[in-house]
Amino acid sequence: MITSRRILGLAALAALLPGFALAQQTQAPPAWAQGRPPEMANSRLAPHPPRLTVTPPERVPVASLRLPEGFQAELWAHGLPGARVMVRGPGGTIFVGTRVIGRVYAVRDTGSERQVSILLQGLTQPSGLAIRDGALYVAAINRILRIDNVEQNLANPQPVELTAAFGLPEDVHHGWKHIQFGPDGRLYVPVGVPCNICETDGERYALIASFNPDGSDRRIEARGVRNSVGFDFHPRTGQLWFTNHGRDWAGNDNPSDTLHVNLRRGEHHGFPWCAGGFQDPAVPRDRLCSEFPPPALILGPHVAPIGTHFYTGTAFPERYRNALFIANRGSWNRERLSGFNVVVVREVEGGRLIQEEFLSGLRDDANQRFLGRPAGLLTMPDGALLVSDEENGAIYRITYRGR
Amino acid sequence: MAARIVLAAALLAAAFSFPAAANPAAEALIAERQCVACHGPAGVSAVPLTPSLAGQQADFLALQMILFREGLRQVPAMAEPVRGLTDQQILDIAGWFAAQPSAPKPDRGPRDEALARRGAELSAARNCNACHLTDYAGRANVPRINHQREDYLVHSLTQYRDNLRVGADTQMNGLMHGLSNADIRAIAHYLAHRD
Ligand code: HEC
Ligand code: HEC
Repeated sequence: MITSRRILGLAALAALLPGFALAQQTQAPPAWAQGRPPEMANSRLAPHPPRLTVTPPERVPVASLRLPEGFQAELWAHGLPGARVMVRGPGGTIFVGTRVIGRVYAVRDTGSERQVSILLQGLTQPSGLAIRDGALYVAAINRILRIDNVEQNLANPQPVELTAAFGLPEDVHHGWKHIQFGPDGRLYVPVGVPCNICETDGERYALIASFNPDGSDRRIEARGVRNSVGFDFHPRTGQLWFTNHGRDWAGNDNPSDTLHVNLRRGEHHGFPWCAGGFQDPAVPRDRLCSEFPPPALILGPHVAPIGTHFYTGTAFPERYRNALFIANRGSWNRERLSGFNVVVVREVEGGRLIQEEFLSGLRDDANQRFLGRPAGLLTMPDGALLVSDEENGAIYRITYRGR
Repeated sequence: MAARIVLAAALLAAAFSFPAAANPAAEALIAERQCVACHGPAGVSAVPLTPSLAGQQADFLALQMILFREGLRQVPAMAEPVRGLTDQQILDIAGWFAAQPSAPKPDRGPRDEALARRGAELSAARNCNACHLTDYAGRANVPRINHQREDYLVHSLTQYRDNLRVGADTQMNGLMHGLSNADIRAIAHYLAHRD
């Protein structure tokens, strides 16, 4: 446990900052105010409102998308407000998770068109989906469900309740999750911190854990992870690569969001003391950045990486094979917008990682507004890459046709 | 919870911006579903615990109607009025109420100076105006909270505090934590008596 000053009311918080707020007890100030320096007390920055209504296809900004030479984008599916993560069932159904609108969609490709239906609704932020043996696993904030033979039961899914077996915290803040099966057949489930910056029980929060598919045998895979909502396993090494969101209210350019490779089980990645080389001034210097493995890559301030996905197809040119694509949903806690794009992370000489912008055009720098928010990524059997746009409830299909 | 609704193409076809004031489609729906029986003519409510909708932020109104429709904000009185509304109908209705003139409530009663001062202090300490803006007229998904019924402000703030209402985000739940009923009454009185 770290020692810290205990700050009870918001008024006290304003007087004492920079300080460090305790969050595991209920007296904590709201996440919105934690770690906020006095000079930012009256900042007007606030999260962007979610769009929960259908965007008609002619309003989906597919024509604005920019890709490297030889690539093209088409509107593959629309009418799925809040579309985020995408997974593919063995029968070819694409399942799509959401947050605020509480739905899980099923998309069937009839060849000429995509049919969208609502598989589940009324859930609290079902943003985590995973497929195994024909069953769909759904992670909402307060529940884990499994639907066996889901593609045979699209019209009448019968969820099996696994919530108690997994026994996860129910905190709403940063409680929305990404889930995925590892090459070891275990289900990987992150638990973010229920705050912006706080002291938490590091065995329960700020981690990525793995479980047997039935929720038994919990094991901590990574510690000190503030909020990861995207990860994947390297196609060759099987290593866990995850992205992480840096905290808010530490300035326009601090800290950066990061990409990490979990080299050892249980490894500590720095929260709350250190984020991507940034020693957090609001946290007592009990531990230093030098004590933690550095991130594999600094992604940029407030870009908000969501989809974190190795491209496993062969239809894209050689340099993209097994490369990591990251969908950046984009910033709110920054005066000038950042993110709202898809980047690709590649290994160059000496094993060094670099990132290049892959999909852009959704961030309008001149007018400081955005047209869409990339969220989920999925390689299709034909080597196309699907990209979901949460803002427009749409899915783009990216293909390569050569120069 | 499980349901399958194939989204109709018709639903996608129409334009999606909020239509301004005169909108016969919205007016017909509002009449048919008797919104004004509870929310008042032109959206200025005279019914206890029922919010005024006049001049409310269109984004906020649409979001709340969707939360009602999806069963994510559960209020018995609102279940029937929103049943089966399409996204476009919701946007139409939201646009209509947002365009109605907003003003301090005529029947808000006398101002209790001491109570209002206490409410002003509490609101300043919790930075209510950072999101709701200085005049408390709100923006986008952050609602207008001036010109509202005092009893409804007390009700909604209490619901956030007790985690009985969770909106499109959880900001309000955290913000209300630790406030007493007396604090909430003071904040509501202060907000309802602003111009
Ligand atoms: C039977 C009375 C009744 C009818 C009819 C009714 N409402 Fe409501 N409405 C309420 C009540 C009561 C609430 C407050 C809910 C609560 O306690 O949180 C409410 C809340 C709302 C809210 C949330 C506003 C806020 O500030 O949080 C919206 C938006 C709304 N109603 C729109 C409508 C529309 C549009 C219609 C017609 C389609 C309608 N209502 C019909 C009683 C009604
Ligand atoms: C961090 C931004 C933020 C701050 C600060 C904030 N609010 Fe809010 N407030 C919101 C948002 C967003 C909503 C809509 C939430 C929802 O969807 O239910 C809201 C909703 C409300 C409502 C419900 C209105 C209605 O018509 O249903 C009231 C009342 C309210 N706020 C009062 C306050 C008060 C009083 C304070 C200060 C103690 C405050 N707010 C501070 C963002 C904020």
